[in-house]
Amino acid sequence: MSNSGELSQRQQAWVLIKDHWDVSALLVLAIAPLGVPALGGALGGQFTTLFIYSILALGLNVMVGYTGLVHLGIAAFFGIGAYVTGILTVPMYPFQIGFLGAAIASIVVAAGIGLALGAPTLRLRGDYLAIVTLGFGEVVKVTLRNLEQITGGMKGLNPVPPPGAGVKLGGLDVGLSFAIDPRWFYYLSLGILAIVVIAMRRLENSRLGRAWMAVREDELAATAMGISATRVKLSAFAMSSAIAGLAGSLYAASLSTTADPNAYDFNRSIMVLCAVILGGLGSIPGTLLGVGILVGFDTVLAPWADSWIQQLDINPTGSSMLSFSGWRLAIFGVALVLVMRLRPEGLVPSRRVAAELHREEEHAAITKGF
Amino acid sequence: MPLLEVCDLEAGYGPIRAVQGVSLDVIEGEIVAIIGANGAGKTTLLLAISGVVATRKGTVRFMGQSITGMPSHEIVRLGIGHAPEGRRIFPRLSVRENLELGAFCRTDRGAIVRDIEEICSLFPVLGQRMSQMGGTLSGGEQQMLALGRAMLSRPKLLLLDEPSLGLAPIVVSKIFEVIAGFTARGIAVVLVEQNARAALKLASRGWVLETGRVSLFANAETLASDPRVRDAYLGDA
Repeated sequence: MSNSGELSQRQQAWVLIKDHWDVSALLVLAIAPLGVPALGGALGGQFTTLFIYSILALGLNVMVGYTGLVHLGIAAFFGIGAYVTGILTVPMYPFQIGFLGAAIASIVVAAGIGLALGAPTLRLRGDYLAIVTLGFGEVVKVTLRNLEQITGGMKGLNPVPPPGAGVKLGGLDVGLSFAIDPRWFYYLSLGILAIVVIAMRRLENSRLGRAWMAVREDELAATAMGISATRVKLSAFAMSSAIAGLAGSLYAASLSTTADPNAYDFNRSIMVLCAVILGGLGSIPGTLLGVGILVGFDTVLAPWADSWIQQLDINPTGSSMLSFSGWRLAIFGVALVLVMRLRPEGLVPSRRVAAELHREEEHAAITKGF
Repeated sequence: MPLLEVCDLEAGYGPIRAVQGVSLDVIEGEIVAIIGANGAGKTTLLLAISGVVATRKGTVRFMGQSITGMPSHEIVRLGIGHAPEGRRIFPRLSVRENLELGAFCRTDRGAIVRDIEEICSLFPVLGQRMSQMGGTLSGGEQQMLALGRAMLSRPKLLLLDEPSLGLAPIVVSKIFEVIAGFTARGIAVVLVEQNARAALKLASRGWVLETGRVSLFANAETLASDPRVRDAYLGDA
C-alpha cells in the first residue's frame, strides 16, 4: 500500500510539473546560472540565443499556427529588427538612442513593414503567400547587403552598444556588466521571453486570437460571423513581424553587432518554421520545445559535441564529415521526417490539431469497443 | 416597407454570371423559400446579399438602408445572419467557441451567455458537447451548431443555405421545426433548399430560380401546386 501511495505522490508531483510546466521551466532557468557556472561563459550566450529564437518562433506561430498563413520569410523581419536597432545605436550614426528606444523602434518598423507587405498580398493563399514571403525574405537580405552606405554591407553594423550603456546604477555600470557577464543578457532575454509567452497566452483566448483561428478554420464562415478576414490577417501579419522585430533587436544587442545579412537568410526562416512545426503548430509549449530541440541542437549541443570530438583528437584533418555541425542539416531532415510520419501534430500539439489528425484513430478505437 | 429588398441583382465569378437580374423582397418575420436546381444561382444570390460575393449590378436594401457593396462584416452587424452551405462550422474549435464566434460582433457579454444557454435548451445535444471539437460532431449536430451560431448574432434576417443537405430525415424534421420557430422570435428567413416540398410548407412565399433568373414567383401554396414546380422540383408523378 505504502508503495502505491508513494507512486501516486510521485505521479502527483509529475502532474503538478506538467500542469505548471511554464512556471517550473522559468524557475529552473532562473536559478540555473547560480548553480551552473558555465552559464557565466559561452554557454550563457548560447542560451541567450536560444531564448531569442524562442521569441522569434512564438512570433511566427501567430501567423503559421494561429492564423494558418504560411510564412517562409520570418528571418527578414528578424533582420529588420536587428538593423533598425543597429542604425539607431551604433556610433557611426548620430541617433544613438540606446537599447530601449531602439527595441521599440524595431518593433514598430517591423510591424509597419509587415503591414506594407501584407496589405497587397493577403488575398493570396497557401502556396502563393509562401512564395511571396520567401521572395520578400531574399529581397531584404540582398537589400541589406547592397545598401552598403547605410547597412555596412557584409560587415554589418557594429558595435551595437549593450543595453544600459553609460547608465550607472548604485556605482555599477549597467552597460559594462552586460558586456562582461553573459548572465545579464541571459536574464534580459529570459525575462522578455516570459513576457512574450504571457502575452501569447492572453492573445490565444482573446477576441483577436479567436478571430485568427476562425479565419484559419474557415474564412467564409468567419466572414459570415462578422469578422473582417482582411483586417484579422493583417493583424496577424503585423503581430508576427513585430515580435520578430523585437527578437532581432535583442539579437543585435546581444551580439553587439547586426552580423552580416546572411544571418537573416532563408535557412534561418526555415529553421524557425521547422521548430514551430516540429513542436506543434499553434501550441506555445510545442513551439518552445521545438526551438529547444532544433536551435538547441544547433547552438548548444553541436558546438559542445564538436569541441568534445576535437579533444578526442580523432579528426585531425578537420573534415566536416566527422563533426556534429557538418551533419546538422541531415539530422534536422531526419527529425522532421520522423515527426511528420509518427506524430504529424507535433511533439506537444495544441489540443485542436491533435483532435483533427487523430479523429480516425479515435473513431477506430471507439468502434472496436475500446 | 419590406425588411429586405433586392432589386435587379447581378453577381458572379469572373466570366460567369451566376445571378442575372434577380429581384425579391422579404417582410419582417416572414419565411421565404428560394428553390431551383443545382447551379441556378441560389447560393450566389445569398452570398451577394450578405456581401461575400461582390454585386455587379442592382441594389440591396435592408431596413430601408442601401447595403449594396458594403463589406460583409458590416452587413452582419446590421442584422443579416448567414449560415452558409455545407454548415461551415469551425472544426478545430470547441462547440462553445463556435457559438461564441457567432456572437463576434456583439459586446453584451451577459446577454451572450444567456443566448448560448437558450441555444442549448433548443438543441440539448449541443449543451452536452460544449467542450467537444466542432469537427467531431455528426452532420446533424453540426447543422444544429451552424444554426445556433447564426442565431447568436441576433439577426433580424437569416440566410439559410441548404440546411437539410445530407442529413437523416429525422434530423431534417428537427431542423425545419427550429426554422419554423424563428418567426415567433421575429427572425425573417430566406431559405434556400433542394428539399422544395419542406421549404414551401414553411414559407409564405417562394421564388424559383433557373440559370440565374427568377422563373416563377408566387405564394408558397400556389407554387407547391403549380404543375411546373411539381414536375421539376417536387418529383410528384
